[in-house]
Amino acid sequence: MDKPIRIYQCEDSTDGILSAVYDAGLSGYGHKFIRIRPMVKNQIDNYELFTEYVQVETDPEKAAKVAQTVKEKISREAYSYMMSAVISEYPDRGDAIYQFVTYGFTMGAKICSALQIPCVERIFAIKRAVQNETHFFREFLRFQEVQREPPLLLAVIEPKNRIIPLLTEHFADRFMEEWFVIYDKTHTEASFHQKDGSWEVRLLTEEEAQKLERLTEQQEDYVDLWKTFFRQIAITERTNKKLQRNMLPLHYRKHMTEFQE
Amino acid sequence: MIFQENATLKQKLEILSDAAKYDVACTSSGVERKGKKGQIGNTMASGICHAFSSDGRCISLLKILFTNECIYNCKYCINRCTNDVPRATFTPEEVCTLTIEFYRRNYIEGLFLSSGIIESPDYTMELICKTLYDLRKAYRFNGYIHCKAVPGASKELIETAGWYADRMSINLELPTARGLQEMAPNKSRKTILTPMRQIQNGMAESRAMLGMKGGNQSAYWYTQKRTGRTLPGAEITGLGAKNLFAGSIQDKAAANKTVDTAISPPAMRETTTALSQWNHMDTSRGFVPSGQSTQMIIGATGESDYEIMAVTEALYQKFDLKRVFYSAFINVNQDASLPAVDGQPPLRREHRLYQADFLLRYYGFRADELLTEKRPFFNTYLDPKCDWALSHLEHFPVEINTADFDTLLRVPGIGTKSASRIVKARQTGSLDYQALKAIGVVMKRAIYFITCNGRMMYQFLKIDEDYITRNLLENDKDVMKGFGEKVTYKQLTLFDDCGIEG
Repeated sequence: MDKPIRIYQCEDSTDGILSAVYDAGLSGYGHKFIRIRPMVKNQIDNYELFTEYVQVETDPEKAAKVAQTVKEKISREAYSYMMSAVISEYPDRGDAIYQFVTYGFTMGAKICSALQIPCVERIFAIKRAVQNETHFFREFLRFQEVQREPPLLLAVIEPKNRIIPLLTEHFADRFMEEWFVIYDKTHTEASFHQKDGSWEVRLLTEEEAQKLERLTEQQEDYVDLWKTFFRQIAITERTNKKLQRNMLPLHYRKHMTEFQE
Repeated sequence: MIFQENATLKQKLEILSDAAKYDVACTSSGVERKGKKGQIGNTMASGICHAFSSDGRCISLLKILFTNECIYNCKYCINRCTNDVPRATFTPEEVCTLTIEFYRRNYIEGLFLSSGIIESPDYTMELICKTLYDLRKAYRFNGYIHCKAVPGASKELIETAGWYADRMSINLELPTARGLQEMAPNKSRKTILTPMRQIQNGMAESRAMLGMKGGNQSAYWYTQKRTGRTLPGAEITGLGAKNLFAGSIQDKAAANKTVDTAISPPAMRETTTALSQWNHMDTSRGFVPSGQSTQMIIGATGESDYEIMAVTEALYQKFDLKRVFYSAFINVNQDASLPAVDGQPPLRREHRLYQADFLLRYYGFRADELLTEKRPFFNTYLDPKCDWALSHLEHFPVEINTADFDTLLRVPGIGTKSASRIVKARQTGSLDYQALKAIGVVMKRAIYFITCNGRMMYQFLKIDEDYITRNLLENDKDVMKGFGEKVTYKQLTLFDDCGIEG
């Protein structure tokens, strides 16, 4: 049976994508004819012929139901696969999530290791890319103290995916009693961590973003000490810039203290 | 000695990080510890690298010497007392401040504190303990600490350091006792192995008392357990152990005369309480929870790879080490009694040793499977696993859909991750070559050694040593991956016996 493809257009957020999964899943339209397309605000899609479009209303309750069901009916691991894909920026992430989840409901917890199934292979690859990027920033993100009293730390990053929540979780445990801000320049959002351990992520206004950028312009003593250490610790006889580039790709260096003039 | 009078913090850091750079280990792995209220820092089991220096080595810890005002005269060391190099000494406070401020900025994962011997081993060890005490107590640091145990320091001080540190290490320096005697006249096998044994026993006791919190087992231990072999700790008498205690194969005879090179392991095992400070130390982290490591210099004295691997294996078995590190010899002192190294240090050799080390720790290989007395060096052109597979073609091809985990691990191109993914994935359905790619198997290396459902990937593939070798060398640059383009030293090469043009 041939039917037109049906595209669910939804808001590009966790709630938006999961609401689309909910609506599409209950539509009974037939899984293989369904696509999910997260839309950035004001983006104009190239409308295709012989295709139906459905606008999805974002509904946090529906999203919560999907999250809960995935955890219960498939597994916590499957949930973390799904959430990694949600915060990624791959254009096919909506479809990968939908297929993975619907397949998972019939297959159960085993789904995560069934890499021979194309949609699992795809979501596994997406999850790996997101986790890897998060890990790179755990390594290479640099804070600078932009205010002495009370001490405030600020880091600027330009990640491909929206990894701020994952990153902040890591640093919140590590720097429990610090005030710190992690600013994601790509997506103009930032996380704010308070001395009491609480934190939130939110989108920034243009003005706020500029204010953060200005703060990074000041210099501090430890930068010089760190550069000294970084230079001294290398063994000249073993110089190997290619290896260095493999381990620490150039685009990560943009905001790293030791690579700045 | 040139003393840097009134050196600034920056000058001290310059001198004492430069002096520490030849120490290899910069790992921060092996212990998972959550953040604590009122403290700064946590640790992750995987470890975190924070930067890579221009030699491509990872920077994870603030690696410094406490002092380089050393009274010893080890021939290979830049800080030996007869050298004219600038000298400096930190104060504990300076080390603590640097650690905390670097850590807050996410430059580092913690501190790696080593030291030259100032005044005496005990005095040096005391300074290290004082620094670690301050860092943990006054500066409330809960991140990763690696520190050296100074050979010859008293038992009490070694134990104290072990309660503050996550990892400790004592460098074996040279693979054989004879080499050590020549190069480091102030050190002996005994002063190195005694604290190593003490820490091992302390860790065992800490594990027994505190469970998982007391420290976890090494990868080598888990691999031995999986393959059903005797576990380290139980006395294993293998080729390696015999070697380690007897010095080396060649000076076996000499070793019999000098008692100094041999240390009898059971003697110290009798002591049931390795740790005496339970009552007045903070035991919440456990004793050396991330285990101990060591390193040796490769290429300064005449040992073969076979001897080095045998010693490595013995260290894993007899001393339950977490890691053994190798450091390609660099002749920093131009000492006449040391081999002249023109140009590059033996990096390729070092690389092969690391690969073999992984085969021991994760893949269940034994040292005598990889090398023998008759074939004592690794092949420069092929990694040790390919090399092993090529000389054991009777084990291949391996059927992906039925072979057990340990058999899969022996296939070139399949690592520990992909092997366990294969085992899990095939429970949900049979695997084909497409799936293997998704799983992360390195196909250009694996295809000669595997079948999927009874078929090889291409019908024309032959299981033939010459054929596979030629194809591997032509199609798989990674097989030859060493460092740099040039081969810096000559070894037994396989080109000698099969007539292929290099």
